[in-house]
Amino acid sequence: MLKSWKSVEPYLLVTPQTLVFLLFLVFPIATIFIVSFWEFTGYSMTPGFTLENYRNIFTSQVSLATYLNTFKFVGLVWFFTLIIGFPVAYFLAFYIDSLRWQIILFLVCTIPFWTSNIIRMISWIPFLGREGLLNKLLMGIGLTSQPIDIFLFSDFAVVLAMVHLYTLFMIVPIFNSLMRIDRNLIAAAEDTGASGFQVFKEVILPLSQPGIAIGSIFVVTLTMGEFVTVRLMSGGQAASVGYLIRNQIGSLQYPLAAANAIILLIVTLAIIFGILRTIDIRKEL
Amino acid sequence: MGLKKRSPTFYILAAFFALFVLFMYGPMFAIFTLSLQGQNGALTFPVRSFGFYWIKSLFLQQQRIGDFGAAFQRSLLLGLIVMALTVLIGLMAGLGFRRRFTGSRIIFYLTISSLIVPSVLVSLGIGIAFSLLGIETNWYSSGLAGHLTWTLPFAFLIMIGVFNRFNLSYEEAARDLGASEWQAFKEIILPLIAPSLIGVALFGFTLSYDEFTRTSLISGGRNTLPLEIFGMTTNVTTPALYALGTVTTAFSFCIIGIAFAAFQFFSHRQQQ
Amino acid sequence: MANLTRRQLLRTGLAAGAMVTATQCARGTPNNPAPGPTVNTNQTKDVTLRFIGTGVSQINEIRQKAEEDLGFKLEMRALSTEENNQIAITQAGQYDVFDGEYFSLPLVVPSGNLQPVDVSRITAFDQIVPIFTTGQLYDGAKVNSSQGTAPHRVMFLTDQESTEFAPEPTNWATLIPFQYNADTLGYRPDLVGREITSWGELFNEEFRGKTSILDIPSIGIIDAAMVVEALGLMTFGDKGNMTREELDQITQILIEQKRAGQFRAFWKTFDESVNLMSSGEVVLQSMWSPAVTAVKAQGIECIYAPLQEGYRAWGGGIGLSRNLSGIELDAAYEYINWMLDGWVGAFLGRQGYYSAAPENAKKFMSQAEWDFWYEGKAATEDMIDPFGTKLESAGAVRDGGSFNDRMGNVVVWNSTMDEQTYLVQKWNEFVAA
Repeated sequence: MLKSWKSVEPYLLVTPQTLVFLLFLVFPIATIFIVSFWEFTGYSMTPGFTLENYRNIFTSQVSLATYLNTFKFVGLVWFFTLIIGFPVAYFLAFYIDSLRWQIILFLVCTIPFWTSNIIRMISWIPFLGREGLLNKLLMGIGLTSQPIDIFLFSDFAVVLAMVHLYTLFMIVPIFNSLMRIDRNLIAAAEDTGASGFQVFKEVILPLSQPGIAIGSIFVVTLTMGEFVTVRLMSGGQAASVGYLIRNQIGSLQYPLAAANAIILLIVTLAIIFGILRTIDIRKEL
Repeated sequence: MGLKKRSPTFYILAAFFALFVLFMYGPMFAIFTLSLQGQNGALTFPVRSFGFYWIKSLFLQQQRIGDFGAAFQRSLLLGLIVMALTVLIGLMAGLGFRRRFTGSRIIFYLTISSLIVPSVLVSLGIGIAFSLLGIETNWYSSGLAGHLTWTLPFAFLIMIGVFNRFNLSYEEAARDLGASEWQAFKEIILPLIAPSLIGVALFGFTLSYDEFTRTSLISGGRNTLPLEIFGMTTNVTTPALYALGTVTTAFSFCIIGIAFAAFQFFSHRQQQ
Repeated sequence: MANLTRRQLLRTGLAAGAMVTATQCARGTPNNPAPGPTVNTNQTKDVTLRFIGTGVSQINEIRQKAEEDLGFKLEMRALSTEENNQIAITQAGQYDVFDGEYFSLPLVVPSGNLQPVDVSRITAFDQIVPIFTTGQLYDGAKVNSSQGTAPHRVMFLTDQESTEFAPEPTNWATLIPFQYNADTLGYRPDLVGREITSWGELFNEEFRGKTSILDIPSIGIIDAAMVVEALGLMTFGDKGNMTREELDQITQILIEQKRAGQFRAFWKTFDESVNLMSSGEVVLQSMWSPAVTAVKAQGIECIYAPLQEGYRAWGGGIGLSRNLSGIELDAAYEYINWMLDGWVGAFLGRQGYYSAAPENAKKFMSQAEWDFWYEGKAATEDMIDPFGTKLESAGAVRDGGSFNDRMGNVVVWNSTMDEQTYLVQKWNEFVAA
């Protein structure tokens, strides 16, 4: 009796969580998949089986350009969050001795995360605009006579805002990895005469890879489906898959949006499997 | 540690860190400043006059459109519900995962995949599924579901981490002394993991309170706060928008304060 | 002014009371005897009507005033035009009252989510301007032969159960209009430095990177058509109902302009255009009237240019959800009658909109306000917007002149085309290009 309870117990315990994901993740995505083959009539969708939606996407120049532009955003955001996030995590992990200060500085990094993303995004607007602080400053010190347009409503602004929003997702996993590195290992490497740079390259960097991978997965996932930042910071002018899907939903073209969503999912998963193939993150979990 | 204390690298990295902090906070101070203007304030610099006009107008509902108060209450309530469910469901799953069982791998990957799926698919999918089934979307039904798909994986990962480090011998000792399963849980496990549960609760609340994309198509007729804020970015032409930013940020700080105090309190008790 | 308003308020109350009595009596049937007006007030006071609409009229001041005068509650949601139509079509359960635009009706009406409005229950229906009923304003007006989804084409349904538009007035209306306007380009004279007289200026290289166009396909495409027609780049059979070839061609031109950097940003709600204009990001763009007044209210000069090619117009009205019945439906009719009674018309009029029943709005406006906004005469006193900010000093004249000058020169309306799906697809290509 006790034995059988023991074997059932874990299943009962994980049931609620599993149900949530089956009902609200697996089932909805299955629905999207089905709807992506449906037909569309101006204001409603009708059940059916057509490949027209996919054909539309694969033959359109615009969807190709949109995906390329999305990859551009993902690549740039990933690159900048990494080169900003890594030194910050590295500094916190190796150069701050007291636990107390480590916690305080770490909190300093995370506090902006507690503010609404949209508020953080729009807070760039008075800063970057044509009559914004940055242009006023540049014109004030005579670096430019005309306000610089590309600060706002541009790809630059989109990438900047995303880096601002998502760097933390890179810092936390990297910090986590770095904290797990055995300090004796570093001491040993130094004892054998390795230079600071060699220690970094041979010990720290390889051991921090799982953290980098997890951070990258977060950043890629968040950026791939983005539409709010793209809409607000590009002034509605930039293209991204998420924004395209959003626009198609807005104009009630659900089957087309569904087909795009399925492709987006496949592409995102492909990138993540690519990351996972290069770097083994199982130790971190 | 302390092996590279005060080396030149330290100063370079410290300077980089300082710049990063400036990057994080700079724009926010811009909007805090702009929200503290008098009635003649505008959305851009320069600040025309100092005052609390816009903050007041937010609370007195004097802005032309939008209902910030109701959206705030809704998000608060939703956040608390999500928090409670996340702690409960996450804790159960964590307890279930203390031992390996057939199918645990699949459930593990199912949970993690919820983090990897772009959020727009979750809201689009739930939205279409509900409409095909003829169920009304609402912030407390479909919206809640969307939020759980986002908070539960985090709770799950935290709980797995906690139980990995958890020493099973305490629990076994308790049982050897004749404690029931429930007693062992209540007297031994719960106090030990209480600080982590606070962490999960806090995580659950904030992730929900600030969730936008997964809610955007499925909140039904009434907006949550982030949706209301997004609506205001396109519908408000006064510093009331920034006032909203200042007020919600101040509120977040209060939450952090409370959570931090609670965390301290429980860790303290745990050490005793 | 304050006294006058209070007196008028009383009068509205009386009028509303009388009207409620009248409609209630008129509605009495043997099976369902008409309840007395007092009973009705008691009943409807527990009603909450849920509105969806755009920021143009989902305004807290209107809500508060309506709740005060009518005694029941309203919930308002300010959405973008796109979301508004989307919810109207797909989420019938989310609203009781649809505050929408006429151009959306060819999509909303077939969804069956609206119930036709019984014209006989609308007290002021005979005062509604003929633009909505017959489409004729005055002899020789350009608007009489305007293109696009003109309100009168989608104003009436053939009968109560129908979702088919009637060419002639019937007793069953899709929407009851309350606001409309003639739209055109707005610009900042301080930054443009000269007069703008043609739609073609929107694509002028002189303003490269400083213009904006609205990202709502059914409206943006018409503005674009006005521009390319003015520049002689294209001619159309019917701007309000383009062919696929015309859509291909105009999208191509738009994409070229976008790639050349002509636009600073796109906007979806009129408030965004206010922010673009007042922050100096954009100096010339297609605009809506309240956006212009909002820019002016910030002390920034902004001209709503009368252009030689004429105006693009739109009309907005109130529709009733299919789900409404019983006292809630009664409450919705009460709201419509209140809406046409003049207070709303005057309120919105001070932002530059026209009221569907202008004579009623006039009762709530000062003579000076009426002369300025409707007659195109020089202001004899400072013009104040509905939120209490000064818009114009005494002596100013409304851009474009009188009601007849402006509405009479409408050449095209916001449109839902036969090729609507294709239009949306091409427009999305333009946005994504």
